Amino acid sequence: MFCPISAVPNMAPRELSALEKFLGLKKPHKYSTQGVKKVPVLQINSGPPLVGLGTIACHLVKEAKRPDLLGDSAESRAVVQQWIEHRVTKLDRCRKDDVKTFLKDLDHYLQDMVYLAGNHFTLADILIYYGIHPFMVDMAIHEKEQFVNVTRWFDHVQHYPGVQHHLPLVTVLRNRIYTSRHH
Amino acid sequence: MKLFVSEGNPHCLKVLAALEETGVKCDVQYVSHEERVVPFISRPVLPALLPPTGPHLFSSNAICSYLFEVGGKDCSDLCNQWLEWETTELQPTLLQALHMAVVLEKGSEVSKVLQGPLNYLDQSLSKQNTAYLTGETLSVADIVMWAALYPILSGSSTILGERNSVKAWFERGAKLQSIQSAAQKVLQGKGLQGMKTFLQRQPNPQSKEIQTCTS
Repeated sequence: MFCPISAVPNMAPRELSALEKFLGLKKPHKYSTQGVKKVPVLQINSGPPLVGLGTIACHLVKEAKRPDLLGDSAESRAVVQQWIEHRVTKLDRCRKDDVKTFLKDLDHYLQDMVYLAGNHFTLADILIYYGIHPFMVDMAIHEKEQFVNVTRWFDHVQHYPGVQHHLPLVTVLRNRIYTSRHH
Repeated sequence: MKLFVSEGNPHCLKVLAALEETGVKCDVQYVSHEERVVPFISRPVLPALLPPTGPHLFSSNAICSYLFEVGGKDCSDLCNQWLEWETTELQPTLLQALHMAVVLEKGSEVSKVLQGPLNYLDQSLSKQNTAYLTGETLSVADIVMWAALYPILSGSSTILGERNSVKAWFERGAKLQSIQSAAQKVLQGKGLQGMKTFLQRQPNPQSKEIQTCTS
């Protein structure tokens, strides 16, 4: 049975380690998980542990002094937070039917966007990319064709320097989507 | 800037409270539950905010954080953590509790449903020993959590039981003008029953739990 439910949250510590490498953080952190949902936990020296994928990811970005990845205006910061929340509340507990709806909405949204927060690459792109990767890997080319904007965005993100890292590259139909680049 | 809300929708209580608390200037428009305000989401989703630039915001917590940031208050790591906990842990349980109390009319079950999150909240607050969730000053996390819990907790004095830390913290919020006036706008003085129409339109939270694969 297709059951991403348990697989996706378990990936959180790996995602966070990959994010650290992307951010160029020198000393790797160690992550534990808590509860049945295996929510990631980061023990930091300066206080109580941080809990939750979105919270820890934002913390790492601040630690790496890359505030630009959280958005460059109040509006884009809100957009970034919103998609991170969407990732942990919707995508991480999606069944296969729900994923299609998620991708359909995302596709509509990306129609006139390069990245989730507009023209700038942010943490939201990284976390949504990590989150939908397991579904994109399993999808046939004709299924991906239904989500042409998602596919274009996905390909941008997986080729963004340092992002793809631990995940296999997903093939997209280049000649259809990138016609202008090839001719 | 324009905020779209609907009566009886508990998520709208949060944004109306945040709007009043921050004093940010914004038009508020009441629409029906079925209104599709956000063009890129295929089902109706409220509240929604159309900021001066950029796309619609469709998450109540992101809207609240945005209003607080515009009002000059940023969200710390701890603040982020409470907001994430609210959406991932509290909301699914809360929706189940509201459904239980309003749609199934089994108010007596609510304490049991909510005991996990309330215990966690109580332990965290008593360990921290601060007046608010993130320290000695009010943050967006307090407003979001008060607004989320207000409908169910203000109507029943027994749900909190002996959880004195949550009690003291909750009473601080329940007294606020911003929370009370947002509750009045959303619940229309009908208490939990004010949310009945909204809750009847939501998928049954329990049956979803069963269908979700857990292996």
